[in-house]
Amino acid sequence: MIVRTPLPKKRRPEATGNSDSPNSDGRFVIFEDLPEPEPSHQHSDQMLCTYQCRQLVKADFLDALSSAEKKSQDYQSKVEAMDSDLRKSEAERVKFRDQLLYAEQEVAAAKGREQALQDQLLKEVSESQERLRKQIHIHSELEVKFRKEMELRKNAESLLSSAEEKASLLEGKLSHVSESIEREKVRLQKELTQLKQESKLSMERISADLQRMECKASNSEKEAALLKDQLENLQTKLNECLHEKNEVEKKLSTLTHQEFPSDDNILVKHLREELRNYESEVREARKWKASHEDIELLREKLLEEKGRRERAESEVLKLSEVQINGKKLEDELSSWKSIIKEIPGVTSAADIPLKFEALQKEVLEGMMKMGEVTARLKQVEVALDVAENTRQNVETEFALTNERMELLKLELKRTELLLSSTTEERDRLKIVVDQLKQQKTVEAGGAMTDGTVKELEASLAMKEDLIKQLESSIQEQKDVNTRQHNEIKLLNERLSNESRRIKSLEREDDRLRSEIAILESKLGHGDFSSASTKVLRMVNSLAVDSEAKQTIEALQNELQKTKDKLQAIEELKKQSGDAGTLVDSYISGKVVQLKEQIATLEKREERYKAVFADRISVFRRACCELFGYKIVMDDHQRSDGIPVTRFTLQSIYAQSDDEKLQFEYESGNTKILGNTYTQQPDISHQVEIFIRKLNSIPAFTANLTVESFNKRTLS
Amino acid sequence: MAGSWEVTKNSSCDYEQGPTNEVLERWNFSIETDKELDKKVSRENSDNEIMREIQAVMRQIASSITYLPCLDEPCIFDVLAYTDMDVAIPFTWTESDPKLIANPQMVKLHSFDTKIGKVDTLVSYKNDEWDEQ
Repeated sequence: MIVRTPLPKKRRPEATGNSDSPNSDGRFVIFEDLPEPEPSHQHSDQMLCTYQCRQLVKADFLDALSSAEKKSQDYQSKVEAMDSDLRKSEAERVKFRDQLLYAEQEVAAAKGREQALQDQLLKEVSESQERLRKQIHIHSELEVKFRKEMELRKNAESLLSSAEEKASLLEGKLSHVSESIEREKVRLQKELTQLKQESKLSMERISADLQRMECKASNSEKEAALLKDQLENLQTKLNECLHEKNEVEKKLSTLTHQEFPSDDNILVKHLREELRNYESEVREARKWKASHEDIELLREKLLEEKGRRERAESEVLKLSEVQINGKKLEDELSSWKSIIKEIPGVTSAADIPLKFEALQKEVLEGMMKMGEVTARLKQVEVALDVAENTRQNVETEFALTNERMELLKLELKRTELLLSSTTEERDRLKIVVDQLKQQKTVEAGGAMTDGTVKELEASLAMKEDLIKQLESSIQEQKDVNTRQHNEIKLLNERLSNESRRIKSLEREDDRLRSEIAILESKLGHGDFSSASTKVLRMVNSLAVDSEAKQTIEALQNELQKTKDKLQAIEELKKQSGDAGTLVDSYISGKVVQLKEQIATLEKREERYKAVFADRISVFRRACCELFGYKIVMDDHQRSDGIPVTRFTLQSIYAQSDDEKLQFEYESGNTKILGNTYTQQPDISHQVEIFIRKLNSIPAFTANLTVESFNKRTLS
Repeated sequence: MAGSWEVTKNSSCDYEQGPTNEVLERWNFSIETDKELDKKVSRENSDNEIMREIQAVMRQIASSITYLPCLDEPCIFDVLAYTDMDVAIPFTWTESDPKLIANPQMVKLHSFDTKIGKVDTLVSYKNDEWDEQ
C-alpha cells in the first residue's frame, strides 16, 4: 500500500548484502504510519514533497516494479530452470525408476536365479544325500554281504580245516594201510624171494640129483661095462674051465675005462679041487660084487636120506618162520581189516584206492570252492573298496557342495543386503522425488535439487557398481558351477572306467591263478586225472615168476625123465644080474657097430688127408715151377679178432732167404705187407708202381721174377 | 605198444625203493604227438637240430646227478604209461596207480622237437631229509 505521506526516502543500499534494510531482500514492507511530521512550514514543503515524494515513490515504485519484474523474470527463469530441472529430475526419476525397476527386475531375476541355484543346489544336495544314502545303504549291504561272506569263508575254512583234518586222518590211515600193504608186499616179496631161493635150492638139488643120477647112470654104465667085461672074462674062464672040466672028465672017463694009475686020480682030484676053488672064488666074487652093489646102493640111499633130512630140517625151520610170518600177516590183516572197518564207505581193499580217489576229488573240489570263495571275497573286497572310495568321493563332493551352499548363502545374504540397500536407495529416491514435487509446487528455491541430484547420481553409480558386481559374481558362479559339473562328470566317468578295468583285471588274475594251479598240479602229476587217464605198468622184468616156474617145470620134467631112465637102468641091472646076455649082446653089438663106423670114418679121413696132401704138394710144386714162387699159407688172427690168411712168397731166383714177399688175404681182398725186403728202394718203387698205382699184384710178382732171373743169370 | 602209441599222452618211469616200495624219483617224459600238433604251426627242424636237442637233454639228465638225492639202497625201475581209458592192456603190462611223490621237488629239463612230435622232460624227486633240515 502506498503510503500517503511517504517517509523520507532512504538510500537504496548499494550492496546487496546490506541485510539490515528491509528491502534488501526484495520483500515489500508494509510501512506503518509513521509519527506525524511537524506542522510548521510543512505545508509547502509538503506539497512539494508530495510531488517529489510521489515522483520518488513513483520512481521507487517503478524501480521496485522493475526490480520486481526483474525479480519475477528471474524467478520465472528460475522457475523455468527449476521446471526444466524438475523435468530433468522427473526424467531422471523416471529413468532411475526404470533403472530401479530394472534393478528390481534384475534383483528379482537374480533372486530367481539364486532361488533356482538354491533349488538346484538343494536338488544336488538332496541327490548327493540320496546318493550318499544309497552308498551308505550299498555299503551297509556290502558290509552285510562281507560279513556273510566272511562267515561263509569262516565256515568254509572250518569245513576245509575239518576236511583237511579228515583228509589228514584218512591220509594217516591210508598211509598206515599203505604201510601195512607195503609191509605185506615186503613180506610177500620176502616170501617170494624165499620161494625163489627154495626153488633155486630145489633146482640146485634137482640139478645135483640130476648130476648124481647122471653120475650114477655113468657109474652104473661103467659098472655095467666093467661087469660085462668081468662077466665076459668069467664066462671065458667058465668056458675054459668047463672045457677043461669036460676034457678032464673025458680024460677021467677014458681013464676010468682004462683004469688009470693013482696019480691021475690025484690029478683029477686036484683038478676037481681047483674047479671047486674056482667055483667058490666065482661065487665069492659074485657075492663081493653083490655086496659092493648093495653097499653102493646103501650109500646112495644114505645120501638121499641125508639130503631128505637136511631138506626136512630146513623145511621145519622154514615152517616155523612161515608160521611166525603167518601170525604176523594174520595180525596185520586183522589190523588192516579193523582199519578198513573204521574207514567209512570201505568194505574191502579194492575200495581203498577208490575211497582215496574220492577223497582227493573232495579235497580238490574243496580247494576249488575255496578258490572260488576267495575270488568272490576278493571281488567283494574290491567292490567294498570301490564303494568306500565312492563314499569318500561323495563325502568330499558333499562337503564341496556344502561349502558351495554356504558360499551361495553368503552371496545370497550379500545380494539381500544389496537388495535392501537398493530398496533403501529407492525409498530415498522416492522421498527425494516427493520432495522435488513439493518443491516444484512451492517454487521456493531450486538450490536443494542440486544436492539431491548429486545424491541420486552417487546412489545410481553405487547401484550400477553393485549391479555390475552382482552380475560379474553371478557369471563367475555360473562358470564355476559349469566347470565343477564338467569336472564331476569327467571324474565319474573315469571312476566307472577304472572300476570296470579293476574288476576285469581281478577276474583275469583269478583265472590266471586257477590256471597256474591247474598247470602246476598237472606238471607234478604228469597230466594225470583218474577220470580220463589210465596208468599202465610194465610187469617187472626182474621178478620173472613165470619164467622161473617154466624153468622149474622143465627141470622137473627132466628130473622125471632121468628118474625113469634110472629106474629103467636099475631094472635092466636087476635083469642083467640074472640073465645079462641079451643086454650085453645088444650093447656089445651096438658098440661094435659104432666102433666099426668110427674106424671106417677114420680110415676115410686119413685117406682123404693123404690124397689131399699129395694133391696139394703136387699143386704147390706146379705153382712154384710155373710162377716161380714158393707159396706158404698160414692162418692168423688180427688184434681185432678177425681171422686172416697170410701168404709168404719166395722167388726161386731169390739170392737169400730174406727175399720174401708177404700178402694178407681177407674176404677176397689181397694186400701186401711191408717187411725189410719190400722196403728196399727198388722193390718199394715197384710196389708203388704196380700195386699202389696200377693195382696189379701179378704184374708186380712177374716183374720181380724177371728182375731176379736177370740178376741171377747175370751174376 | 605200437598200436597205442597214438593215444599215449605221456610216459614216465620212476625208481622205487626195494624194501618199502617208496617212490624216490620220477622221470616224466611228456610226448605231444602229431595229432595234437595239427592245429598249431607245423614245426620243421633239421636232423642236426634234433640231434643237438637230444644231446642237450641227455647232458642234462647226466648232470642231474648233482642235485638228485643219493640212492643208498637197492632200487628197481618201474615203467608207467598214461593212456586213455579205452585202451586195451597188453600182455606184459598191468594197471597201476600213478606212483606220485608227496611234496616233490620238480626240475624241468630241456625239451626236444622232432618232425613228428615234441617231448618234454621233467624229473621230480622226494625231498632229502638233509635238504628239509
